[in-house]
Amino acid sequence: MSQVHAVRTSWRTISALILVSAVGLIAFFWPFVVSPDSLAADHATDAPWFFALLLPLVVGVLMADISAGGLDAKGVAMLAVLAAVATAVRPLGAGVAGLEPMFVVLLLGGRALGPAFGFALGSLAMFTSALLTAGVGPWLPFQMMAAGWLAMGAGLLPQIRGRAEIAMLVAYGVVTSLAFGFLMNLSFWPWALGPGSELSFVAGAPLSENLGRWFAFNLATSLGWDVPRAVLTAVLTVLAGPVLLRAVRRATRRAAFDVPVRFEPLVGAGRQ
Amino acid sequence: MSTRWLHPGAWWLWALGLGAAATRTANPLLLGLIVGVVTLVVSARRPQAQWAGAFTVFVRLGLIVIVIRIVFAMLFGVRVGTDLLFTLPSATLPSWMAGVTFGGPVTVEMLVIAAIQGAQLATLLICVGAANSLASPVRLLKALPAGLYHVGVAAVVALSLAPRIMINVRRVMRARRLRGRSTRGLRAAAESAVPVLESSLDDAINLAAAMDTRGYGRMTAAQPAERALQAGLVLVGLTGIALGLFAALGAASWGWLLLVIGLLMATGGIVIAGRRVPRTRYRPDPWNWPETITAGSGILAALAVLAGSTGTISLPLTWPALPPLAVLAILLAAAPALTTPPPPLPWRTA
Repeated sequence: MSQVHAVRTSWRTISALILVSAVGLIAFFWPFVVSPDSLAADHATDAPWFFALLLPLVVGVLMADISAGGLDAKGVAMLAVLAAVATAVRPLGAGVAGLEPMFVVLLLGGRALGPAFGFALGSLAMFTSALLTAGVGPWLPFQMMAAGWLAMGAGLLPQIRGRAEIAMLVAYGVVTSLAFGFLMNLSFWPWALGPGSELSFVAGAPLSENLGRWFAFNLATSLGWDVPRAVLTAVLTVLAGPVLLRAVRRATRRAAFDVPVRFEPLVGAGRQ
Repeated sequence: MSTRWLHPGAWWLWALGLGAAATRTANPLLLGLIVGVVTLVVSARRPQAQWAGAFTVFVRLGLIVIVIRIVFAMLFGVRVGTDLLFTLPSATLPSWMAGVTFGGPVTVEMLVIAAIQGAQLATLLICVGAANSLASPVRLLKALPAGLYHVGVAAVVALSLAPRIMINVRRVMRARRLRGRSTRGLRAAAESAVPVLESSLDDAINLAAAMDTRGYGRMTAAQPAERALQAGLVLVGLTGIALGLFAALGAASWGWLLLVIGLLMATGGIVIAGRRVPRTRYRPDPWNWPETITAGSGILAALAVLAGSTGTISLPLTWPALPPLAVLAILLAAAPALTTPPPPLPWRTA
């Protein structure tokens, strides 16, 4: 059974996705590659703000490209409803670290409807849930990027079905829940500590040293939240994954995304 | 003054201007002044809506940031200053964690610097929180460029559907309770997810049919040349942004130039994509004098602080001076509390 693509995936959309992901990777991982002579190293605490303004722009360009490249009314409706479900379940999680139940919706949506749709779903769901809870802040662009990747990746995994698929999604969910926490830490690492502390990054230092400092920072801040989130994602995927995936796939079939629209003259209708 | 909604972009520019001012000064008096001005405007112009409660959440978040910053400074911070307070037990982590040392002597200077740097971040968060509670999110979505029209529609639909889905969850839970089944635990949550998702997906299909018949999600056919131009602008622009960033991080100054060119090209791509969506806006938010004054006062505060204050803390610590220009500009940023029209009352919200 081949995968449904709710967004037509042309070479254009794919290359735009790759380029935007490249910009996103730089926005997250720049502390590891920055040269000590660069402007960004002098303004390490300001750089996250710069990226927080740059990322919405590139995500916006990608979204405009996706919708120009073929997002019809069915795609818009499906995107809206799945984003609404993800938004609605977000407050069910526990407080500030409560992104957990949302991840399952994003995973399954990206899985059933393809990588490009997944990216749009992930970032849109983060955006709408931030608007609804009035949580628009410098963290939002990074969350949109990371959640987009998470849902996109679920659509890129090999197309297998049955128990193997659920097992694969559980493993993927655990890895990405942990990775999400690590990435979000990475995004505010430079400004949370300020330069010069024992856990801050050192521009131009060898990769292994900065990785070690980053890991220590994770350990000191959020690992206590990341691990329960990964466990919850896994448990929810096992419990609800099969039925929910079936439900989304059934709706996708009914929506008939890949069927071309043709206008044919009605035979025997009217008087002409 | 008659009531109307101020353009959300004006509130965001005002708040971001004050926030930028906060990142440019390490003067605790100026930071306190910014917080005071922001609080004044929020208390004067906050609408009666659910999202308007965000301000207090962001204030609390700001306080947490200050506390975290101080704790981290005591544990991992740079050991500066001479005025010793106490000494924490010290240890060094193994070398695979970069051989980080924590603990050690704690001085007054360390704590003051950490508190001021924390207060900078907290002030910025409070400014963002002010924008969150002053600017209506749905009106912000209406101001999206035309190229993002479809995604904007999806966002508006998602925002209006999400509360209904929460009500659906409660309904399904009540049905479970009436049937004598448990409503707690993960299993109940997973099982109630199915009817909720099924009914939402049915909604999606109906919504799609309704939107199709009313012509939503359509766009005019593109000329091949125009389509190629848009694709070219977007792809080349994004490549320029990525390469420019990478070069700028490597300290090549032409990287910034490449970045700016890439940004301009990519934005041009959005504008051209928007030309294929011929839409008029229903009752667009106007941009009049109150908007200009609001946005201008925020930007003015940022410029004045940039000119009149310094972002570094020098040792030994001294009592901060008050630069008159920056103080005046920040006080002017309180003007929106009087010059903007008050927001409509809840039963007249649109």
